[in-house]
Formats: sequence, C-alpha cells, structure tokens
Amino acid sequence: MKDDTKTLYTTANPYSTAQIAGHPIHPMLVPIPIACFIGALVTDIVYAVSGEIMWADFSTWLLIVGLIGGVLAGIAGLTDLLSNRHIRAQPPAWPHGIGNIVVLVLSFFNLLVHTRDAWTSVVPTGLILSIIVVLILPVTGWLGWSMVYRYGVGVLR
Amino acid sequence: MIFGKLNPARSVGLAVLLGSTLLLGGCNDGSGDPRAEIGPNPKLPDLKQFLFPPIHIAHVVGWKQGETPNVAQGLKIQALATGLQHPRSLYVLPNGDILVVESKAPPAPTPKRPKDIVMGWVESWATSGGNTGTSNRITLLRDSKGDGTPDVRSVFLDHLNSPFGVALVGNDLYVANTDAIVRYPYKDGETKIDAPGKTLTELPGGPIDHHWTKSLVASPDGSLLYVGVGSNSNITENGMEAEHNRADILEVDRATGRFRVFASGLRNPNGLTFEPQSGALWTVVNERDELGPDLVPDYMTSVKDGAFYGWPYSYFGQHVDPRVKPQRPDLVAKAIVPDYALSSHVAPLGLAFYTGTSLPEAYRGGAFVGEHGSWNRDALNGYKVVFVPFSGGKPNGMAQDVVTGFLNSDNQARGRPVGVAIDKSGALLIADDVGNTVWRVTSAERVTSR
Repeated sequence: MKDDTKTLYTTANPYSTAQIAGHPIHPMLVPIPIACFIGALVTDIVYAVSGEIMWADFSTWLLIVGLIGGVLAGIAGLTDLLSNRHIRAQPPAWPHGIGNIVVLVLSFFNLLVHTRDAWTSVVPTGLILSIIVVLILPVTGWLGWSMVYRYGVGVLR
Repeated sequence: MIFGKLNPARSVGLAVLLGSTLLLGGCNDGSGDPRAEIGPNPKLPDLKQFLFPPIHIAHVVGWKQGETPNVAQGLKIQALATGLQHPRSLYVLPNGDILVVESKAPPAPTPKRPKDIVMGWVESWATSGGNTGTSNRITLLRDSKGDGTPDVRSVFLDHLNSPFGVALVGNDLYVANTDAIVRYPYKDGETKIDAPGKTLTELPGGPIDHHWTKSLVASPDGSLLYVGVGSNSNITENGMEAEHNRADILEVDRATGRFRVFASGLRNPNGLTFEPQSGALWTVVNERDELGPDLVPDYMTSVKDGAFYGWPYSYFGQHVDPRVKPQRPDLVAKAIVPDYALSSHVAPLGLAFYTGTSLPEAYRGGAFVGEHGSWNRDALNGYKVVFVPFSGGKPNGMAQDVVTGFLNSDNQARGRPVGVAIDKSGALLIADDVGNTVWRVTSAERVTSR
C-alpha cells in the first residue's frame, strides 16, 4: 500500500504538477492570452475602420501582454503535461498544446508586424494574423476545457 | 549606463528586441552601393517592410588623446575646442566669434507603445557621449589670432531649452529653442548675455517632440526668419494631429512673430541657409525610415515658396508610402522631387556653403554637409562630412568625402558630425556632438592672406 498523496490523486484524476495548494496554475493564466488576443482583434478592427492610431497602439500592448501571459500559461501547462503520463494519455492533450504553441508563434509574428509604423502595422497582415489566432482559440480552448471537465485533469477527488 | 536605466517595461522591450535579433540574426539587409543614391537621380529600389527592421548604430567610444578625423588631400584638421557638452550647431558672429550650441534632446514622452521603449534605448546608444553635464547652453569661442587656438571661451547663454538654430539680425540675436524662437539683445564684442530673452513666437514642441532640432536662418534683408520644424514621427505613427505645423519650414515675421507655412512635406529639415549665388533657401532633409536599407535617400534641396515635398504621403516625388492613412493622391500629385539625394539614412543635419577663400579653389561655392550617420541599415552610412560641388547655384557633380574617420576600424563612433559653419578666416568648422568637440579644417598649406 502506498500512502503518497500524488498516487492517491492519480487513482482518481490526473494530477497537476504546476499547482498551488492543489489549484493548477495553468487554468489561472490562460484567460490572459485569450482575453488579450481577442481584444487585439477588436482594436485592430477599430483601427482598420477608423484609422485612429490609438487603437493600433492598444493592439500592440494587448499582443505583448497576451504573449507574456501565454508563455507563462504554456510553461505551467507544459509542466503538467510532461510530468504526468496520465495527462499525456488524454486524447485532447497534444492537439491542445500544439494548437496553442501555434497561437503563440503567430502572435509573436503579429507583434513584430505591429511594430511597423502606422497603417501597415495592422492592415492587412496584422489584422489577418489576429483573425487567424482568434479562430484557433475556441478550438484549443474547447480541447483544454474537455481536459478538465470531461477527464478531470487537475481536479481533486 | 544602459542597464542602470532598465525598468520593467524597458526589460520587456529588450527581451522582444533580443529575441527578434536572435531569430533574424546574421541576416544581411541586402543593401546596395550607397553611392548609387547620390545626386539628382538616385536609383530607388522597391520598398520593403520588415518584421524586424535592420538596426545598426555605431557604439560611441569617443576620441582618445591626439586622435582626429581624417581629411581630404590638401586639408588639415585640428580641434578648436574640446570638452564641450554635446555641441550640435555653430554660428559665426560678424566679429568672428563662434557660437557653439550645446544641446540635448528634450525629455522623452511617455511611451505610446512597446516600440517607443525599444527605440528610446537605441537612441540612447546613438547619442551617449558619456556624461556631458546639463548642456542646453551656448558657448562663445574667440580665436583672435585666427590660428585655431581660442583665447576666449565663455558661456554665452545658459539654461536654454534644447536649442539648435541661431540667427543675428542687427543687434537682435535669435535662438531657436525646441519650443520657441527667443530674442536676446546682443552688442558687438559681448562674450556673455545676461539679459532675459523675449519669446518672438512659440514653435511646435512637446510632449512628443520627435524631431526636436529647430534650424534657423534670417532672410538676407533681415525682415523674416525661416525655421525648420521636423515631423513628430517617422511616418505619422503618432497620429496626424501631432503633425500640425510640422515637417514644414515656417516663415516668421520678425516684427510681429506671426508665421506661415513656407514649404511643407519636408520630414526633418535642418541646415537652413541661403545659397549665395542664386539667393535661394536651401535645406538638408532626413527622410523616412524602415522601408529598406536603400530607402529613402536623405537629400538637400532648394526650397520653393508654397511647395510640398512629399512627406508623409510620398517620397522623391510620386513614390507613394503605403503606411499613411488616409492617402492623399492630390498632394502626391504635386509633390516636388528634391534637387540632390545624399544617400539613404546618412542623416544630414548641417549645411554650409563655402563662401571663404582660404580652402583650396575646388571648394569655392560648393556645399559642406554634416552627416550624423545611419541606424536603419546594416552597413553604416554617413558619419562624415561631404562636399557637394555647385555651379550656377545648383549642385554639379558627385559628393566627395571631406572629413571622415569619425568611425574607427571597428565601426565604433569616435564622434559624429552635426552642424557645419565657415569661420571668418574661411576655415570649415564641424560640431561633433558625441565627440564633444568642435573641429576646424584649414588648408594644409598655410595661406598667408593675413
């Protein structure tokens, strides 16, 4: 008989390694990139319509904060994924992870495009990248949520 | 120190910069021969836009004891004054006294976007000439013997606001601060002005004040002043409302201070001066960045009343810049092609026509141009003083290197030339801002005209 608590969790749900007092860090951080990248699409659209430079500036800040939050969320998520084979065994795990790496890579290039000056910092390349990212997010989000709500990853009990 | 100034926001910018440099490191920007872009018909490549624009700026190391720039054959150079505080422009008074305008950029505005933080860091490399004190003053040099060793050196005016241009009309001395033209009473022979200045007219200044140097010249009859006001952005990225009365040469009525736009579309006009033969107003202009290593050539041009020279909508005539919204085809159609390209990113900031006689015959009537040097291409360009021959009031021939060696063999900047002037003896003077020196170029063989 083992009395290791980690073993106890694995018998019930796949446990999270990057966690604070049993609360997984990854789901705490993922709202940051999601909200920021959706926000950047909105501000890109407003800039494309209005030509008011303030909105393009907002996009850049949103992209950089989203990227920082996204990289941190990615580190927490990757820690969970790599340290627990039960998580790796979940069907949505790899598509979710790879999809979000694509999101971060595209958003990094989007940030570089946004460092250009004035109109072409957004239209057309920046705007297209923002749209693609926001189209990917619901798919990877759905996969992530199914990890928690369907397979109970990181859920105690 | 760079790292002493790091704050969290700046660190983020740095991380982005370094990450991108690694990603694209080792790439050459594919620049061509800079000399193909000198003259009235520069060869313009197609524009490029970058994920990460080429950034290469000469790190400042300063002049070691005894080091000087190199000069063309028949000339010699020596320091007229050292230990200055970021000298940027020069003005020679009628009695031969030399005013050295020592000036620093106004405080940076709050960053509008992450790139502003990164670019602030890049610029700190461009102008970091060590601790040069408070600057923003004018130093008077008097070289009574005319041998290049001043016998008087005094603080002529102090506590100015990022000054650049100076013009004397009669007893009225005008200083173009970054935010206003200020008038001071001047009497021949004075080495210091104590009287408070009186504002003639305010100029577009902060809080952004992207191009802050205000070049100044008085009309030959003394009734008008012309002042260069640079744009408030590279290419309107701070919004069109920030560009009011900018990228213009303003004509100021000396009696009332009222001004009008004399010419527009000049992104950053400096070195305003009248060509002696034709009487036309000339300027050197810093053109836009981030369209490629060979775009857009900076230029020198005569300036026509009411003319539009392209910025921001187009460059070198009708080459449309896609970064500007809304576009203005009506203005593009009337944009004038400048007279003479000086090559891309050389950053001309000083212009002086040679009116003296003590330099070799070949320099008579031509123009000396101080090229501060590039940041937006891999192979450095500029960082020297060139001479453009003139005939009949128009450029005539290829620009020649006159003063070089501001870069050492490792492409580090010992100094960077800015303003140029001709002193009373006919010598060429050069303000070297990061070298904190004024250089004096004379004939190698002593002309005994005294």
